Amino acid sequence: MAKKVLIVDDDVDVRTFVSSVVEDIGYKPELAKDGEEGIGKIKEEKPALIILDILMPKESGIKMYRALKTDSQFSDIPVIVHSGIAKRTFLRSQKALDEFGDQPVPEPEAYLEKPVEPEELGAMIKKFLS
Amino acid sequence: MSKLLLIDDEDGIRKVLSISLKSDGYDVATAASGQQGIDLFQKEFFPIVLTDIKMPGMDGIEVLRRIKEINPEVEVIVITGHGDMKSAIQSLHLGASDFLTKPVSDQLLSIALKRAEERLKTKKTLNNYANDLWNMVKEKTKEIKRRYEFEDKLVQRSIDGIVATDKEENIIIFNSAAEEMFGYTVNEAKSAMNAGNFYPEGISQKISDIFAGKDRDASDIFVGDEASVTAKSGEAVPVRFSCAMLYEGDKPIGSVGFFQDLRKIKHLEKELIKSERLAAIGQTVAGLAHGVKNILNGLKGGLYIVNTALKNGAAGLAAENKKIDYSMTSALPFQARSLKRIIDNNETERQQKKLKTGWEMVERNIHKVSDLVLDLLSYSKEREPEYEKYNPNIIADEVCDLMESKAKEYDIDLIRDIDREMGEIYLDPKGMHSCLLNLVSNAIDACVFDLDTQKHWHVKVMTRRKNESGVAFEVVDNGCGMDEETQSKIFAEFFSTKGTRGTGLGLLVTQKIVKEHGGTMYVASQPGKGTIFTIRLPGKKV
Repeated sequence: MAKKVLIVDDDVDVRTFVSSVVEDIGYKPELAKDGEEGIGKIKEEKPALIILDILMPKESGIKMYRALKTDSQFSDIPVIVHSGIAKRTFLRSQKALDEFGDQPVPEPEAYLEKPVEPEELGAMIKKFLS
Repeated sequence: MSKLLLIDDEDGIRKVLSISLKSDGYDVATAASGQQGIDLFQKEFFPIVLTDIKMPGMDGIEVLRRIKEINPEVEVIVITGHGDMKSAIQSLHLGASDFLTKPVSDQLLSIALKRAEERLKTKKTLNNYANDLWNMVKEKTKEIKRRYEFEDKLVQRSIDGIVATDKEENIIIFNSAAEEMFGYTVNEAKSAMNAGNFYPEGISQKISDIFAGKDRDASDIFVGDEASVTAKSGEAVPVRFSCAMLYEGDKPIGSVGFFQDLRKIKHLEKELIKSERLAAIGQTVAGLAHGVKNILNGLKGGLYIVNTALKNGAAGLAAENKKIDYSMTSALPFQARSLKRIIDNNETERQQKKLKTGWEMVERNIHKVSDLVLDLLSYSKEREPEYEKYNPNIIADEVCDLMESKAKEYDIDLIRDIDREMGEIYLDPKGMHSCLLNLVSNAIDACVFDLDTQKHWHVKVMTRRKNESGVAFEVVDNGCGMDEETQSKIFAEFFSTKGTRGTGLGLLVTQKIVKEHGGTMYVASQPGKGTIFTIRLPGKKV
């Protein structure tokens, strides 16, 4: 049975594209269009890797990231953040949130800035799953 | 004590009169001849001189003449022989104050002296008055001069050009700012030109009318309006111009024009507009680039999927072909062939599905590009609205008809609330149609985005005749609503709450069209409760 990769993104184009890449290298894509749906899918599908957009309506990307990284049930699942904002900006915002009294949250296992080339994305996924 | 000079050649008379005069309180000096008297008078001043006419050597007439030459103010009383009326009259002609005949009576002498004293006193008072007057005139003249110079400086130093005319419209004041602005010297202006050369068109005529009594309403001819004047070089100079009539009582005696040079201000305004435009272009380009980049990413993703599907299709087929053990074909030719077909079909189906997905993605993004470009065009295009008599209700109905199916698709009630008293007004139907369509489609999106699934969503489209001269469209939804920050940004370029779905130009275009109609747009919204968009248009029934 092929390993599952959960793709969370509000943009249908990105979902289609990433899932196509995942499929092409032999894994099974699972899709969610926001953080809420994403959390549900994690519980249902037990993915081996999560590719997460963090800029989605209602901050649900950031919320989801922090939720699953602070939950011992899921915190071991590697997360590739796939976003339109620069890595530095994201990390700075996380640090700010950390200091606001939230539990400190580790950096994501990988960070890809959009747009990403299919080869790069594919290689990254393989690195985590093989 | 008054001083007095007594001139008489007769020793006896001098003695007698001196005694009498001294007893009257005079400080008396005497001279025994005319020449002696004059000598004494030149040394010392006497306000009153008493002289005998008939004397050897210089006679009294000559004494009188000389004294009057030296000081015309002196009171000279002459003493004549009995019956010598000729000398008496001659001396009066020469300015004697009085005459006494010999023998001199004490009483008459006293009276004559008293009169002389009074005349002296009056003269002195008059003199004082004259002096005071003269001083006052001098003082006032000085002050007037000072004030004139001050005012002249004021006029000359003014940054504004000042041109004043008399009632023949000859130039009487032309200050240095005016010289600089118009390029004429003050002498050129004063000698050969009149108000018509400087005042903006039409003003000179109006002023002439006022002088001619044709126009009585002259209170404010021209106050602080922008106008253009022509300089000597032919350059049109933009000015802020004020003009006033000058009156003496009710009578117009001249006019004055004030010219504020607006060249520098205009230049700065232009610069400002230019830099604002550049900034706006910069923002626009940034927003546009972002939008285009997103779409390009979508296109690239689509292309990738299409390409892999095509490649896999071909490669897959070849691979599947190879895998089939054709040794079996001879034994089980039918089964092998059908197996191959099934595999082919499965793979082909899979790749075709992929091809379709990728192609849809390409199509979707091509749509996005064309939406963006269309919005941009209608935003940037200087399209003149085409106004015609039209009932706004028709637009509301058309838009509702158009959006009905989309609303139904998302289980949203689309309610029409149409004011049948609307009547026709002048508007641009195409423009207004796209405005209302934009608002209704936003309202539907607001319901689609709403996470509160307990709600029964609705979008209400209202038309209202507000009063004689105004109508309103209102689009009300009970969707997700907006917080204040979002509300403050919705009319900004490339701001969208719809992620990659919106171009961020829709409301901007709508607002532009409403403004072209002379209308206004309002938004009221509450997060979680819904939003009301109102378009108000001026519109009398036609």
